[in-house]
Amino acid sequence: MKLNKRVNEMTGETLYSGVHSSGLGIYIIPKKDYSSSYAIFGTRYGSVDSKFIVPGESEATEVPDGIAHYLEHKMFDQPDGSNVFDKFSKYGGNANAFTSFNQTAYLFSATANINENLATLLDYVQSPYFTPESVQKEQGIIGQEIRMYDDNGGWQVFFDFLSCLYHNNPVKKEIAGTVESISHITAELLYKCYNTFYNLSNMAIVVVGNIDPDEILATIEKGVKKNEPFKEEIKKIYPDEPETVASQYMEKSLSVAQPLFMLGFKDNDIGYGGDKLLKKNIEMSILLKMLFGKSSPVYKRLYEEGLINASFAPDYTMQPSYAFSSIEGESRDPKRVYDIILDEIERVREEGLDESTFNRIKKVVWGNYIRGQNDVEEYAATFMQLKFMDIDYFNYYDVYKSVTFEDVKKRFAEHFRKELSVLSVVNPV
Amino acid sequence: MIKKQINENISLCYIPMTKLKTTTIGVYIHRPLNEAEISLNALLPYVLKRGCGKYPSQEEIARYLENLYGASMGASVIKRGDDQILYFDLETISDKFAPQGEKLVAELLSLIMSVLFEPNIKNGVFDADVINQEKKNAQDRIASVMNDKRVYASVRCAEEMCKGDVYALSRLGTVEGIEAVTPASLTEHYGKIITSSAINIFICGEADIDAAEIAIRKYTDKMTFKSAQIPSAKLFKRGGEINRVTEKMNVTQGKLSIGFRTGVAPTDEDYPALCVFNSVFGSGTHSKLFNNVREKLSLAYYASSQLDKYKGIMLVNAGIEFGNFQTAYDETVRQLEEIKNGNVTDTELESSIIDITNTYEECCDDQRMLQGFYLGELLSGTDRDIERAKAEIAAVTKEQVIAVSQKVELDTVYFLTGEDA
Repeated sequence: MKLNKRVNEMTGETLYSGVHSSGLGIYIIPKKDYSSSYAIFGTRYGSVDSKFIVPGESEATEVPDGIAHYLEHKMFDQPDGSNVFDKFSKYGGNANAFTSFNQTAYLFSATANINENLATLLDYVQSPYFTPESVQKEQGIIGQEIRMYDDNGGWQVFFDFLSCLYHNNPVKKEIAGTVESISHITAELLYKCYNTFYNLSNMAIVVVGNIDPDEILATIEKGVKKNEPFKEEIKKIYPDEPETVASQYMEKSLSVAQPLFMLGFKDNDIGYGGDKLLKKNIEMSILLKMLFGKSSPVYKRLYEEGLINASFAPDYTMQPSYAFSSIEGESRDPKRVYDIILDEIERVREEGLDESTFNRIKKVVWGNYIRGQNDVEEYAATFMQLKFMDIDYFNYYDVYKSVTFEDVKKRFAEHFRKELSVLSVVNPV
Repeated sequence: MIKKQINENISLCYIPMTKLKTTTIGVYIHRPLNEAEISLNALLPYVLKRGCGKYPSQEEIARYLENLYGASMGASVIKRGDDQILYFDLETISDKFAPQGEKLVAELLSLIMSVLFEPNIKNGVFDADVINQEKKNAQDRIASVMNDKRVYASVRCAEEMCKGDVYALSRLGTVEGIEAVTPASLTEHYGKIITSSAINIFICGEADIDAAEIAIRKYTDKMTFKSAQIPSAKLFKRGGEINRVTEKMNVTQGKLSIGFRTGVAPTDEDYPALCVFNSVFGSGTHSKLFNNVREKLSLAYYASSQLDKYKGIMLVNAGIEFGNFQTAYDETVRQLEEIKNGNVTDTELESSIIDITNTYEECCDDQRMLQGFYLGELLSGTDRDIERAKAEIAAVTKEQVIAVSQKVELDTVYFLTGEDA
């Protein structure tokens, strides 16, 4: 196959891309003079995908929560009894994997033997091998991973926050599932999920670093094991989600030094990906920095009154099927922070946003895009994550420049609604 | 790397790295760890960051940085061996990516110079409100160490292990020490240390080093300095019984942290062998701890070891069920015995060498990591470059790994467990 070459004059980056006949999306970004390279091989399949219709079947399949993550762990076992890490170690590859709400990804970084490491990556992710014994063995390890998160205040405040926002959306469920839910996972179920979501037409591979695109392409083409793309799409079934929030407040107690909080707003402007979603993301990033960034009046007030510290962090999370803004931090009085934030929003609603602040903050967003291309890992991971939302990260500038002050004003009026706001708190024991 | 000695205390190091799209500036002010000044040092960088001659308030600095396309300036305090370091980290996109041709790196350097040498002192002292706000933040930072139980267990283990040694002091100071700070005492401390501490300024990325030197000298040439050295670390040594500490907290997972003395300093001939030993033992997916404590016995999601090279300490950390304490401890000790008995495979040795080599090479793609590497070399007095560090690791033999493992001694066993466990 031949890859399409594109050059971005503003960043100096070059992208080689194409779709293999197996359906696999291939994206290669050479970085001259870099020591390291990074490859990420991922599937559009995450913790939210517990109910689906396999192409060719008519009945829906429902599987235990946490299975995508469990499957990720079990991919490291090989049919010949070997361990994948040993193979990477031989070639100096540093291998890892992760499961998020909407994707599962396998990756490595290396400073030598890139093609050998890449061949290993392609091979093991296409070689599922599950037995009742090997599935059983993982219960203990993942059980401890779940326990680790049970004691993590930041993680707990986040999932309570999601439980406030959502009535039914599975994003509110723990990625690893529960000790109970994973006890129902069997080898057979793992194969079912594997054969559905790890079809190459549901996957993509991104390679960034000191590489030769022709060699990388040749390794990928040689590494493809199954050339049977699905003719129809995998139907993912999500429960209906009302526009309202499930509850506006949740709290729990854990061993933390002072209360942790996460507050934010449910975004009901959803159901699309692509440039439109990227544009919304840029608008929201600008807005959050304008309203709550370090130069904002409300930040100054909260900081000087001792209500927040440097951990105060606004953020925006987006997917085609859900989205929300959030602010997390530590505070002696989270409810007071929440009240002041809501008051500030009403003040801005009356007095209006400031255009010179918009222009200044828009520069920050551009700087962040440039910065995001430094690190091979960050760049590749972001590229893939956005690709799965049909967003072309390489073409960021065109969308960025289209964002106007009017767009941001409109977004402000739509997004920040009191009845869609929630607050989650973790108090000290 | 190009090094310029600005004066007897201040050096400027320029590490060109044009393949990245950013340029970073790191400023390190070195203070010997000691009880009398840890809290002052822990507070000072955060107060300095709040305002300076050029931009008196936090919001003005924030606005200025936003105009530089979201450049950043962070302040913190770190500990390397017996050295408490006031650390400022700045980053901007490099000038060639500035859409209007702005001189971003020079702007950022002028900001940090003003922060360091033109602090917001009015009527002879720092602003009392700023001090009070930052005192509270500093006390919160001390309290918040317990939020991350993995880090907490590791910090507590080192603290218990080194009781009586200055290394047991926290980089964050103490709650009482912070409480006692006044605008006058902090102002006095600032005046004292700014001219009597070793200061390293690193610029990594793309910069005009001669212009940077001039920008620094504009401030420093008119000041008088009192000669200072980088504080050097003393290796941790102790005899007697194994120290066993159990602490209870409201947690669902136990955290095991085991401290070992290595007796090896970075300048010692067998230091590279110690690094390879640590990798074989517990650093990475090829290691004995990963493959036995996690993969074979399914006891933990993470089980790993790391070195504090300056103090000659190695810590093992694992998150386990409360009831598995003895099994996990026994297995850790057993894996160390395996190495001492000579059971190191060729694959373990090779994987470890490759893994450490990779880490060194990855420094060359990361400005902060590369700065950190050179800083570490300065602190430990080894003064190597990446190539030399790699070569030393590559030359390590299995026999050397086994030999150095004989020096590793169990010192402290710390366990964070549940209240009802």
